[in-house]
Amino acid sequence: MPKLKIDGLEIEVERGTKVIEAAARLGIIIPRFCFHPGLGPVGACRVCAVKFEEGPVKGVQMSCMTDAQDGMVVSTTDEEAADFRKHVIEWLMMNHPHDCPVCDEGGHCLLQDLTVAGGHGIRRYLGKKRTYNDQYLGVFVQHEMNRCIQCWRCRRFYQEFAGYRDLGALQIAHHTYFGRATDGQLESPFSGNIIDICPTGVYTDKPSRFTGRRWDFERGPSLCIHCSLGCHIITSARYREMTRLEARFSESVNGYFICDRGRYGFYYTNHPERPRRARIRTEEVSLDQAIQTAAQKIIQINQKNGPKAIACLGSARSCVENQAMLIRFCRVQGWNEPTYFETPTMAKKVKRAVARLDEQLAVSMREIEKADFILAVGADPVNEAPMLALAMRQAFRNEATIVVIDPRPVFLPFEFEHLPVAPDDLEPCLTALIKGAVHRSAAEKMGEEALRFYDTAPAEYPDAPIKNRMVKITQKLRQSRYPVIICGTSIVRETTPDVAADSALLLRAARGRAGLFYLMSEANTFGAALLSSEEGSVMDVVESIEKGSVKGLMLVESDPFRSFPDYERLKQAVDKLDLFLVMDYLPSFAARLAHLFFPTQTLFEMETSFVNQEGRVQFATSAYRGGIPISQISAGGHPLRVFRRDIPGGESQPAWQILAKLANIISLPGREMFSLSKNELWSWIAKEYPIFANVPIADELPDDVRVHLAQGREKLFPSGGQIRSGGLSRENSTLELVMGDWTFGTEELSTYSKYLQQVEKEPCLFMSPKDASMLGLKDRERITLPLDKGRLEMELRIVDTMAPGVIVMPKHRQLAWQKIEKWPVKVAMGQIRK
Amino acid sequence: MEASKIDRIVRQYGARESAILAILQDIQAEEKYLPRETLEYVSQKMRIPMVHVFRIATFYNALSLKPRGRHKIDVCLGTACHVRGGDKILDKLERDLGISVGETTKDKRFTLESVHCVGCCSLGPVAVIDGDVHGRLSQEKVPGLLKDFK
Repeated sequence: MPKLKIDGLEIEVERGTKVIEAAARLGIIIPRFCFHPGLGPVGACRVCAVKFEEGPVKGVQMSCMTDAQDGMVVSTTDEEAADFRKHVIEWLMMNHPHDCPVCDEGGHCLLQDLTVAGGHGIRRYLGKKRTYNDQYLGVFVQHEMNRCIQCWRCRRFYQEFAGYRDLGALQIAHHTYFGRATDGQLESPFSGNIIDICPTGVYTDKPSRFTGRRWDFERGPSLCIHCSLGCHIITSARYREMTRLEARFSESVNGYFICDRGRYGFYYTNHPERPRRARIRTEEVSLDQAIQTAAQKIIQINQKNGPKAIACLGSARSCVENQAMLIRFCRVQGWNEPTYFETPTMAKKVKRAVARLDEQLAVSMREIEKADFILAVGADPVNEAPMLALAMRQAFRNEATIVVIDPRPVFLPFEFEHLPVAPDDLEPCLTALIKGAVHRSAAEKMGEEALRFYDTAPAEYPDAPIKNRMVKITQKLRQSRYPVIICGTSIVRETTPDVAADSALLLRAARGRAGLFYLMSEANTFGAALLSSEEGSVMDVVESIEKGSVKGLMLVESDPFRSFPDYERLKQAVDKLDLFLVMDYLPSFAARLAHLFFPTQTLFEMETSFVNQEGRVQFATSAYRGGIPISQISAGGHPLRVFRRDIPGGESQPAWQILAKLANIISLPGREMFSLSKNELWSWIAKEYPIFANVPIADELPDDVRVHLAQGREKLFPSGGQIRSGGLSRENSTLELVMGDWTFGTEELSTYSKYLQQVEKEPCLFMSPKDASMLGLKDRERITLPLDKGRLEMELRIVDTMAPGVIVMPKHRQLAWQKIEKWPVKVAMGQIRK
Repeated sequence: MEASKIDRIVRQYGARESAILAILQDIQAEEKYLPRETLEYVSQKMRIPMVHVFRIATFYNALSLKPRGRHKIDVCLGTACHVRGGDKILDKLERDLGISVGETTKDKRFTLESVHCVGCCSLGPVAVIDGDVHGRLSQEKVPGLLKDFK
């Protein structure tokens, strides 16, 4: 490994490391505009010039373009190099407008910093500056091309790193223009990153435009909870309002970037209709009063109908603290354990995934980038967890083969093999690939169970065109050195997470190394599955209410009206309740119906932790103290100068603290009293769930810790002998309805964001050309889709990248799809009409 | 430009993305410029994003997004021609034709452009009209130079 000396300090780095990176490791930050650690070097700006005094290269050279080599002696402070950099900045500033006072980047602008640091103060060039026309780039990004210094970071990110091609470079030399062919919304769901990486103010954050300088904001590290990946973010808040969100570097999760759903989804926390006061029916009361009233009602019901007469629903968007306290609450009261999942199937799938993920198999997103073969089963990354698509693209750029087995019309920003098969055929299709690539002897070595799994799994996929394509894929898989299986949990069957894990085990046995990556539906689905011991579901609770055994229902940050498939049935059940208690921060439908409502705090107002889909416990600090945004009570003017002790609208409390207070009132004498200390709650969690024992909760912002259940105790290969051959049960008279996610418009929290609402696409029904021609339907026709409890009207889209025998529809905010009795839904073919 | 004509050009190069420059050159030769609708058609037909087609179309001086005249005058402003008064030739042409550099006369007779070296510095100052080099120019020679072009 090359050893070199930079500014008198010696360092040894891996071969291929650039001098600029080697210096950064020593804590020497060489000026840069075009170089970005996530994008690599390009040598466009010339500002990273340093002097090479000894070694194979001599003189002033670009440190971002020079590989570190043995014997190099580098000076970053050399007079000649410093003078060179100063002149580079001067010429980059030649056309740059002096509009810093009205530019949103001012205060955290790299160009501004380096101009000051480099010592360029007086303008010598007196000619006219080059000017451009700006473009409308949509809701998120503000364009101001005159400020451009041609570093190419935006284009390199947008086209090369992310794989979208509607923003690029036009023209030549000092006229080079970065933009689109015409005005319009940027098509990439990762477009916001060009704001973060632009070294000056060409792209600025549009929603937070003119809301403050960097030092005006309360800023802090936090987490994105708009999908299960748990990307790291930085929050900015001002005037009691969450204003802006940026990507925070994370070594193992998101790298340098985040998606637009994460960046612009946070507006639910400022929502003008967000309930901020406790309520008894429609009357606003103090939080303490509401807790007292709730305690009385709960005691009444418990005395009359027993402890099992109150059911609790938690949610997978709640933090670990809320989920754990709800469980603790129910256990102490002797109630049934809370429910976190909509259907028993969903509960089972997630629990199996959590049970099967172990330390050896689990991979992080950064490790996916290193895979040379990715096999995604029942996963639609761009729509379910956008940042995963970006990680897969990096693997693709390193020449990995990527295969997606999914019935939906999956789009990914790179070339991949799509095997569109029906949900029932996902498993046989997967095992056929594995059997083709793994020799029987590998399974034999793993024991009897593995061999049974191997021998009984179908070896061939019956559908000829797909079977033919699989031949080439298995060849690639056979040569792969680091295969990774990605398995979704939304549209797959109950056993699929197990089959995926077993397939990964077989691949590991055959190839020496393999990874497993599950996708889950929400930010803390993994946490919910770890903490809850029962496999109950919302469906069971609704049944109990109908039977009359449950009289009271408590929702903790949960809105079943959004996710429960049968709206009518749920509404009738809720109407029957004696007590309907809701704790939430969203203006949800359930919150409106609540008999008793408690306002809770969002992620941005409390210190919390979430467990992402690879079992990584991650932490967030509070960004600000909450309360009604000043902009919402001042009608745009200057807020009143009224002195008060409390924060207006700041009554919200963490749900777990409300639960603790409630528990302390209703608990019988002699029972455990709950403390309001987070550390005390965590020591309870660590005691009850030993896998959490290593979580360093006392630190201010602890490092992530991975927690995995499977430690050799789990039964491997449980689905041996159960995977039936593919394509057998296909009925020609019905179509299976698959409901999926869309990047914008389906995830609960982000659908409350006014900016994401503007970029949502209108919901539509996808159908394969084969089925459409049988029904005589045409592309873009309005159609009626009959469901168990009514019908839906929407546009039909015919796409040839999806499985026949299946229709696909998003769980879209604009679609009242909750007319389904139970999953899976089969629709008779003749029933779909114009 | 009719779709069939564009199709023929695209087909000639096997619709490969790498051939986009040659395709645009052929369209330019045919139309004397690159009409927007034609570029949009090429973008759709070849499944190349519009921004990429535009990138090529705006990168090269030889390609134009604006309609051109029947005859193209390129005045050299490279170092050698500049020293020998290339800018004076350009100035005279601008005054005589009543247009600025980069523009086309109203009667679509001439388009005036400047270039940076055409590779015959010993002849400077030089202007290239429709591919023919006219060397050792002076302001006095300019009117005679233009009269042969209709």
